[in-house]
Parts: sequence; C-alpha cells; structure tokens
Amino acid sequence: MKNTNFVFADKLTSIIKHHYKNCNKYKKILDFLNYNFKKKYKLEDQPFLPINLFKEHDLVSVPKNKIYKTLNSSGTTSNKLSKIYLDRENSYNQVKTLSQIVTKVLGKKRLPMLIIDGLHDVKNKFNLNAKVAAINGFSIFGSNHTYILNENKKINYKLLNIFLNKYADQPFFIFGFTFNVYKNLLKNFNPKLIKKDFSNGILIHGGGWKKMEKLKVNSQHFKKKLKKHINIRSIFNYYGLIEQTGSIFLECPGCNCLTTNEYSEVLIRDKDFQILPPGEKGFIQLLSLLPTSYPGHIILTEDIGEIVENNKECKICKFNKKFIIHGRHEKSEIRGCSDV
Amino acid sequence: MTYNNKVEYLVGNSKIKKKAIEPYNIDVCNFLIDLSKKLASSKYSKDFSDIKTLAFWCRKNEIFKFRDRFISNEFRLGLGLLFHITPSNIPTNFAYSLIFGLLTGNSNIVKVPSKDFKQIGIICSCINEILKKKYKKVREMISIVRYSNNDEFTKKISNQCNARLIWGGDKTISTIRSFPIDQKTLDITFPDRYSFCIINSDKLLALSKKNIQILSERFYNDTYLVDQNACSSPHLICWIGKNTKKGKKLFWQNVFQIVKKKYDLNESAAIEKLTNLYGSVLSSAKIKNFKKFGNLMYILELKKLDQKNHEFRGKWGFFYEFEAFNLNQIKNFINNRYQTLSYFGIEKKILKNFIFKNYLKGIDRVVPIGQTLDMNFFWDGYDINKILTRVIDIR
Repeated sequence: MKNTNFVFADKLTSIIKHHYKNCNKYKKILDFLNYNFKKKYKLEDQPFLPINLFKEHDLVSVPKNKIYKTLNSSGTTSNKLSKIYLDRENSYNQVKTLSQIVTKVLGKKRLPMLIIDGLHDVKNKFNLNAKVAAINGFSIFGSNHTYILNENKKINYKLLNIFLNKYADQPFFIFGFTFNVYKNLLKNFNPKLIKKDFSNGILIHGGGWKKMEKLKVNSQHFKKKLKKHINIRSIFNYYGLIEQTGSIFLECPGCNCLTTNEYSEVLIRDKDFQILPPGEKGFIQLLSLLPTSYPGHIILTEDIGEIVENNKECKICKFNKKFIIHGRHEKSEIRGCSDV
Repeated sequence: MTYNNKVEYLVGNSKIKKKAIEPYNIDVCNFLIDLSKKLASSKYSKDFSDIKTLAFWCRKNEIFKFRDRFISNEFRLGLGLLFHITPSNIPTNFAYSLIFGLLTGNSNIVKVPSKDFKQIGIICSCINEILKKKYKKVREMISIVRYSNNDEFTKKISNQCNARLIWGGDKTISTIRSFPIDQKTLDITFPDRYSFCIINSDKLLALSKKNIQILSERFYNDTYLVDQNACSSPHLICWIGKNTKKGKKLFWQNVFQIVKKKYDLNESAAIEKLTNLYGSVLSSAKIKNFKKFGNLMYILELKKLDQKNHEFRGKWGFFYEFEAFNLNQIKNFINNRYQTLSYFGIEKKILKNFIFKNYLKGIDRVVPIGQTLDMNFFWDGYDINKILTRVIDIR
C-alpha cells in the first residue's frame, strides 16, 4: 500500500509542475505560497484550490486553441458556474479512467443501458453541464440506450416494458442521478405496471444528493428500499466532482463506503484546514491525477465527510482508503449590500 | 389600497395613511422609547447583540438627544409617505431606516429583505405588541412588508410615495430606479460603500498593555461583530508613523487574542475566505506580504494603493493593510465610494484638514476606532433630519 502511495505522490508532483509551467494563474498562487520544487512535500502539504475559484476565474493549462470542450458545473448553490476546460488528451484520460473504474462492476462488455432521465432534457443543452457530461460519460459503457423519462419527467412504462422484455433476462446497466432514481424507481414507481423485474440490473447512481439530504434517506437505507421495491440487487453509489471527471469514487458493495483508487486520493480538513483523522467530520479534499488541461488536481470542496478506518474487515475493499459523505456545509448567505 | 399578491405584512396593513407630521412628535418619541424598553427586556436581546444595540440606540436619552440636535429655526414637517427598501447585509438595518422616517414625521412602508432573519421577526413582534394597546396615530404610520419579485407592488408604492430610501448594491438601486416616481418625489440612495482605518503606530506603541487591549477589542467590535459586512466596517488598514513594523505586529497579536476568545468562524466562511484570498492574488500583483492566524485572521499587505482598492473587500476577518507613513500617500486613492474613516492616534484637526485641503471626493464619516457601527442622523453624507423633512418658509 505504501508503494502505491509513493507512486501517487510522485505523479502528483509532476502534475503540479506541469500546471505551474503552463497556467500563469496557478503559478501566481504557488509563488504566493512560496512553493519550492526542490522540497519534498507530503501529500497533505501540497497546495489545494478551493472549489469556487473555478467559478470566479478561468483556469487553463493548455493553449486556448487546444481546448475542444468546456464543462460547466450544475451551479446549484450560486448563479456562477465553474468552467472546466478540456483538451483531447485530458478528455481521453477521463474516459479511460472512468472505464477502468466502472468496468470493475459492469464487466468489459457493453450492456443494454437504461437511463433514468429524459432524452429531451439531455439533448436540449448547448453547454455541457455536469448532468449531461455524466450521462454522456457513462453512456459509453452501454448499448441500446433507453431514456425512460418522458417530457413530464415521469416514467414511460411502455418504453420501459419494451426494454425489459428485450433485456431483463441478461445483465443490464441502469444509470441515473440519485434523486431521479429515488423519485422514479422508488417513490412514484408502480411495480404492477411492469412485466419483468430488475433482478439482473446493475444500477450506478450519484450526484443530486443535496436533495436526498433533505429527505433524510441514507445510502444504505436507499439500497434496501430499492431491493425490496423493484428487486434490484446490484446498486452502486458514486461520488465525483465535475472538476475531476473520470476519477470517481464508487461505493463498495461490502461496506457501503466510498473508496479511492489509484487515480484518486481523499483528505479531510477542519475549518482551520488542519488534517483530520479517521472518524472526524470535515471538508472533503479530493486529489486526482487526471486534470492536465486545467489545474483541478487538488481541490478543497465544501462537502462534509469523514475517513473510515480501514480495519480490513470488508473483504472487498481491504486495500483502499474509505470515506463517507455527510452533506454540504450550509452557506452563510449574507453577501453584502447587494442582495436585497 | 389593497395588495394581496404575495405581500406579507409583518406590521400594519395596506391601509397605511399618507401622513406628514411635525418631526419628533411626542407620541412617536414615546413609542420609540417603549420599543427600546421592550427590545432591551426581550428575552431575545441577550441572544442578539444587534437587537441590544438597537434598543440602546433608541433609548429615552438618545431620542431626546436626537431631538435637541434637530432643533432648527425653520418650520418643518415630514415629507409624507416614505418607501424604504432595506438591505440584507445587516438584519437590523430596516429598523434604523424606519426610525429615521418616524422621527422626521413620516409614514413608512418598509420592505425588509426576503431572507428570514430571526431579528426581523423579533423586532416586528415587539412593535406589534406595543401598537396593539397604544399609539393609534403611530400605528397608521408604519407598515413593514416582505415580498420578492412583486414588481406591481414596488411600482404602486413608488408611484405614491414622497421619498424612497434605497439601501443596497448598484444593481438593486438601478432596479428600483426603473420604477417611476412622482416629479416631486426624492430618491435617497445608500449604495455599497467602502471603509478604512488609519492607525498611528507610534501612538499605538506608547499605549499601556491594557489600553492596547481595549483598542483591539474596539476594532474587533467594528469588524468581526458583523463579519465585516457593514459598509462602515474597515477593510483596509493604513499605517502611519515611524515604527509601523513594530506597531502592526503588536496590534494584530492583540486583535488575534480577542478573536481567538470570542469569534466563531462559520465553516463555509473558511473556504470562501481562501477563495477570496486567491482571488486577490490573481487580480492584484501588488502583494507585499501575507500573514495568517489560522483561518481566523488573514492580513494581506499591499505594496501600492490604487483606484480599485474599494473592490477588495475582506470578510470574516480578512484585512488588507498598507504602510503609508503619512497621509499624503493615501489622498489620491480616495473616491466617492469611501464612507467611514476610523482612526487611532491622529488628531481630529489633522484629519479634517486632510479632507478639506485635498477636497477629497469620499469619506463621509470620521470616527475613532470602535464607533464605526454607531448609526447616526448624519449618514452617507446626508443630514437625515433635513432631507426627510420639508421646510415651510413663513415670513
């Protein structure tokens, strides 16, 4: 385990160097922090950027003409959107990494894919927001993509039955945002209206848990209910930032914790930004080896979580670092005279 | 006049009278004195220091002091109906605006921020309790409303009122101004302002240990008490004197001791502070030094001042500082955004000369450290007593 840690730290250092050389704004911040490339930094001492900096500033580490795609954050907390600039290489690495993580649960073969969203919603976007980016990203692991929400955001049972009749006897892939899955496959779903069930389905869901927070449904509870309601057995929650697309964290089916992988790391900090030990709640800091066209490799989020001590009791994720999320810290909303 | 379109009446109703009476009417004064007592005794005032401050501000002695200061040789009456659009940065601000209006003899429709501050509820219920039993005349002069996105209401009231008091940012002010008013109606604006502080390090170093602590505590009250959100809270500290290095160090250490004891930094404020810090790094290349005391206190020293200083605003204990050595180094950067200058260790006369000799475009208020948040009938360069009343020239 230590070895892989070193590999990660080394790779991270070279990514920091790359951004320092290629992103003037990033260089300004590191110079301000008196960053010294001759020094060996511990992972936790490497400089992190607060997530909202991507909302206020354009941060790019490649020449403008190399950018071929811009991702926007969903922007639920403020009106400003994060802008993530991607070149082809970065984009390719995202796909490759996502694939390595996701094929662990889906297998190498493309599976028929059910998307708990509306085609209408997805195709009508000019800009690539987080939602569309995620659906597009996961779509490459599926075939025969079927969007089952109609224009009123309700399940089209006719379409669903066609899909299930064709594919329900073999493994198939279901993707959706947590709240959409909750609303459409649990709360408003009528199992009597389908002829075949979801027992061969593999569900990957994530994002939108801010709405879930309000409902006070935790991940475990959610899983149990879904199993009971539609007889689905393989359910994986994921957590990821649009700023670090690709290196997502999948929930371990054994212990329900989110786990890191060879492309990512997680740290927890208190409000003085001191590192917190396992079991203590604080801000989630995420590290990823993927971002090269923008300096999103070390980000301090406003999400609250805690590291879970790996006592090796779970056979599935013995060697991974594990963590859980508790939600987002409530914004202090006072913003000066300008907001009436 | 009736409106029902999502307009919530916290005090009064739509049947407010458009009434202009003499300033400092005795019923109005007594009502405010009762309100002060109620707010001070309220079980809530111990939880909200800003309610306590408000209660103290409209206590009997203070009201009569305001009245004595008003006494003028002219005959004056209120303007009539005032429409107050109050800001969301300071929860009790609407009450001050209302008191300005009442004491000057006006009827008031006060729009409070849509954000549900507890203080607003407390103050309004205290007002309601008092008005239930007494002060029929005053009752007809107050209506406190909360609404959002109701252009129809804003339009109607704008049309009827005799003056609008608009507190807020540039955007709010221009939005409100897009609703037409009567030819004779006044718009009095209180836009976003910028405030700073000047400290003479030599005088600071001559203070006793105890007095430095007192000064630091006053500075704390000017800043941390309102998360630096008030327009009059300083964002920039200018140091003058010979021994600025030593003075600075001593001052910040003392302030930090108080902050450590008293201040509870909001979690998300910590991240926003870091975002603001990096934002400053990216937009201004003139940083000389940076010092932080955990996440509780950030001090960013600037090499140079320029015309855009007022755009850099600290919050939650984020200060910009500049070693000016003498006042002449500062004068060129003071524009009409500058509101309050708080000071220590400089003679009042010198500051007066500084403003008058240089015909400075900004600085409406000069107060010792510790008094920046004291509301006054001179505000943002206006004389509230005069601007909210009408002179009747009788010969």
